Amino acid sequence: MASEDLPSEFDVVILGTGLAESVVAAACARVGQRVLHLDRKSYYAGSWASFTFNGLLSWIQEHTAGSQPETEELHDWSNLLEDGEEMICLSNTNSAPFSNVQVYCYTSEKDEEEEDEARSPEALNTTEEEGGRGGGDEDGVTEPAESHTAELKEEEEEEGGERRQEGAADAQEEEREEEQEEEQVEAFPSRPQVSWGDRGPHQLQKTCGLNILHCPITQAIQTEGEGPEPESGQPRPSAAPSQSEPVKKKISYAQLLKEGRRFNIDLVSKLMYSRGSLVDLLIKSNVSRYAEFKNVTRILTYRHGNVEQVPCSRADVFASRQLSVVEKRKLMRFLTSCLEETQEEQAFAGRPYLEFLRDQQLGDNLQHFLLHSIAMATEDTPTEEGLASTRHFLRCLGRYGNTPFLFPLYGLGEIPQCFCRMCAVFGGIYCLRHSVHSLLVHKDTNRCKAVIDSRGQRISCSHVVVEDGYVEAARKPTATPTRFLSRAVLITDGSVLSSESDQQVSLVTVPPSEAGGPSVRLVELCPSTMTCMPGTYLVHLTCQSVSSAYQDLSPVVTRMFRTPESHDQEGRPSVLWCLYFNMADGSAVEVEGHDLPSNVYVCSGPDGGLGHQHAIGQAEAIFHKILPEDEFCPPAPNPEDIIYDGETCTSPLGEEGEERGEEEGEGEGEGAGEEEGEGEGGEKEEKEQEEEEEEEEERDGEVQEKQSLKSEE
Amino acid sequence: MSMEDYDYLFKIVLIGNAGVGKTCLVRRFTQGLFPPGQGATIGVDFMIKTVEIKGEKVKLQIWDTAGQERFRSITQSYYRSANALILTYDITCEDSFRCLPEWLREIEQYANNQVVTILVGNKIDLAEKREVLRQRAEDFAEAQSMLYLETSAKESDNVEKLFLDLACELIREAKQNTLDNNDTAPMPGEGKTISYLSCCSLN
Repeated sequence: MASEDLPSEFDVVILGTGLAESVVAAACARVGQRVLHLDRKSYYAGSWASFTFNGLLSWIQEHTAGSQPETEELHDWSNLLEDGEEMICLSNTNSAPFSNVQVYCYTSEKDEEEEDEARSPEALNTTEEEGGRGGGDEDGVTEPAESHTAELKEEEEEEGGERRQEGAADAQEEEREEEQEEEQVEAFPSRPQVSWGDRGPHQLQKTCGLNILHCPITQAIQTEGEGPEPESGQPRPSAAPSQSEPVKKKISYAQLLKEGRRFNIDLVSKLMYSRGSLVDLLIKSNVSRYAEFKNVTRILTYRHGNVEQVPCSRADVFASRQLSVVEKRKLMRFLTSCLEETQEEQAFAGRPYLEFLRDQQLGDNLQHFLLHSIAMATEDTPTEEGLASTRHFLRCLGRYGNTPFLFPLYGLGEIPQCFCRMCAVFGGIYCLRHSVHSLLVHKDTNRCKAVIDSRGQRISCSHVVVEDGYVEAARKPTATPTRFLSRAVLITDGSVLSSESDQQVSLVTVPPSEAGGPSVRLVELCPSTMTCMPGTYLVHLTCQSVSSAYQDLSPVVTRMFRTPESHDQEGRPSVLWCLYFNMADGSAVEVEGHDLPSNVYVCSGPDGGLGHQHAIGQAEAIFHKILPEDEFCPPAPNPEDIIYDGETCTSPLGEEGEERGEEEGEGEGEGAGEEEGEGEGGEKEEKEQEEEEEEEEERDGEVQEKQSLKSEE
Repeated sequence: MSMEDYDYLFKIVLIGNAGVGKTCLVRRFTQGLFPPGQGATIGVDFMIKTVEIKGEKVKLQIWDTAGQERFRSITQSYYRSANALILTYDITCEDSFRCLPEWLREIEQYANNQVVTILVGNKIDLAEKREVLRQRAEDFAEAQSMLYLETSAKESDNVEKLFLDLACELIREAKQNTLDNNDTAPMPGEGKTISYLSCCSLN
């Protein structure tokens, strides 16, 4: 099926499906460029990908020592060269930006059968699952992964064969799920019909809440728990186990594998600032319709050995039990005043933000919150920078909820794919498991005229965008990135701060434990983000590398969670499984100065920042280099507003909204925008812009209600 | 775009090999058109059609692959939050039938558990070129607990039925989910189109 040949002429060829590349692809296709978008991997999003648990195990295998690099047959395609051209080979090995991959499994390998059957609350309180396999093994424990991926394949095959014939097994599973859901339904007794969750919000919201479909991003979904399964959709009266001590389930490694597809584990851990560049772009381009989002519900911080909630909205501040009345007043005053520039702050220009905060005499509590959690700064961060991030934080607050952040359902790996979809809708051609062997460069002009793909096809093009990993080291301005990120991914059995709801999404800031150490950012995701199985939490830790990921992050893990290495950590969530790895920090990768033709543009991989500014900024810059005259990601017409009307085609508002007729065949897309949709087939009338605006206002209206803190004072 | 103009909204997603007639099915249903020799659909993300099932207005949002199936590169996010999947093959093309297990694996992997899946054998107007016997497809569909229907986008055979039956099934499931009174749930065949293009009568 995939043996079909690619068209042989494009405007832009893009290698790699990470966020920046995908945004460029969408932007180019949107304004009528013919885009070919390739990725040598079998999955989308490259270093930005998210994986099911089983998928992640394969990824781990691929990235641990001893794995064979993808070998590509060596070909000599020099016969495809034309006069005056030379060939620049691209890197065919995967110069992986990942290193120091280490895996630990702290849960038992298999379920104890009886328990699995009974699964009564009594049985569930046992907590002796740790000490299992792999603990304490220092050097890249690939063993568990290997042995289990093997198992896993068998399972997959079986399942593939008898899909949907597993009636009995399913029934059992559902019973189990029902039990889990009981708790959750319990927590929201007044909302029995909330059927968010598995089916997602698109499901049958009978005439209410439908807005989500048109502009999901405008209503960050307040998901409340996994949706009840059909059979258990009704709240049942039951003696609820008190919510403060949720029933602990003993989840085995076998269960993680079995429920593996419920995990969507991101390689990159970021959040979306609700007024940040990514959210703005998603809304502006209408790409937001391909994804759904959930609010980050809490900002937490780790302090004096405890996890505390950072009050950031007005409601939070007033409800806070940690803060005294005086502190509350001081905090409100500070946050309100810092929205405007004051002379005071100018006096602190160039001096650390910490000094500025001290000068405000806020006290230790507030100073900690403001420095580490709100500004997310270090002790050396200059005042201007600290204030800028504080302001950004405050600006984002209240647009969609009580924190400034959103998280996409199913993980961040969805976002690049959403842009790819937009590109495809506008004629972009997609091919995974496919790469480019070399660039053909015209010697006189130093421009890339064509590429030769991995099958030896010559494809001419006017521009090439490549992800850094496709460029041979010798052509880079610096051979290796100068900075790395340390990452850890944990699957745990409870939240770092239990609360009334067990469906919290939390950002936890962990200040450096010693001066000069890295501050760690921890994002804890609950099952309703569709990134982990019920009964577990998915925790991402990120910091700038000082040494290996394990050395940088395991002390934090040991302190905040229960592992075999931790002592006296009753009441802390247990780590069931964890992964450490290092990855290149994209903000330290040079994208200029490569020894490459002038029409070849390089995208760095993901950076370490919390937001997406780096990648979006890079994509926009590349787009403007390719098409200086065109608009970056204008809104795609809303399908709701395309009126098909047999014969005629009028477009009252069509001056800007472009009409794209029904183009024929492949590789179309030339001259988009100008063509009136008079081709055969359906004509359409679009009236996009206007409604857009209206929606925007509605959104804002909504937002005001939720608005908290800031500017109202 | 008022919120009041329908009772239910469902997302239906089409999958299947390139060239089996997915886009034609959608166009036939939503626009009543059959554009011969039409290629990829550019700039149109999904199509909308509102139908009426037992007095309730059901808005169907029908998503096409945007050509990403050509090189087996459909994004996972395409499957997310679909209420129903229409898995299409071409009855005159054995290969498109043989690829079905591959598609099922993708569904298994990325679609949600309760998604309603219907197998559609398209192009029955080309009966003389048939390569996949009806019985074979029916058996396959049954083994996979899928509904099965044969259609012709060209002759408009069973196209309305396909979407209306799907809408009925989705409402039925929805009502079960919310544990509404079950006997109000519609049975297949009780739907009708209400859009101005409903030139074709219900099969």
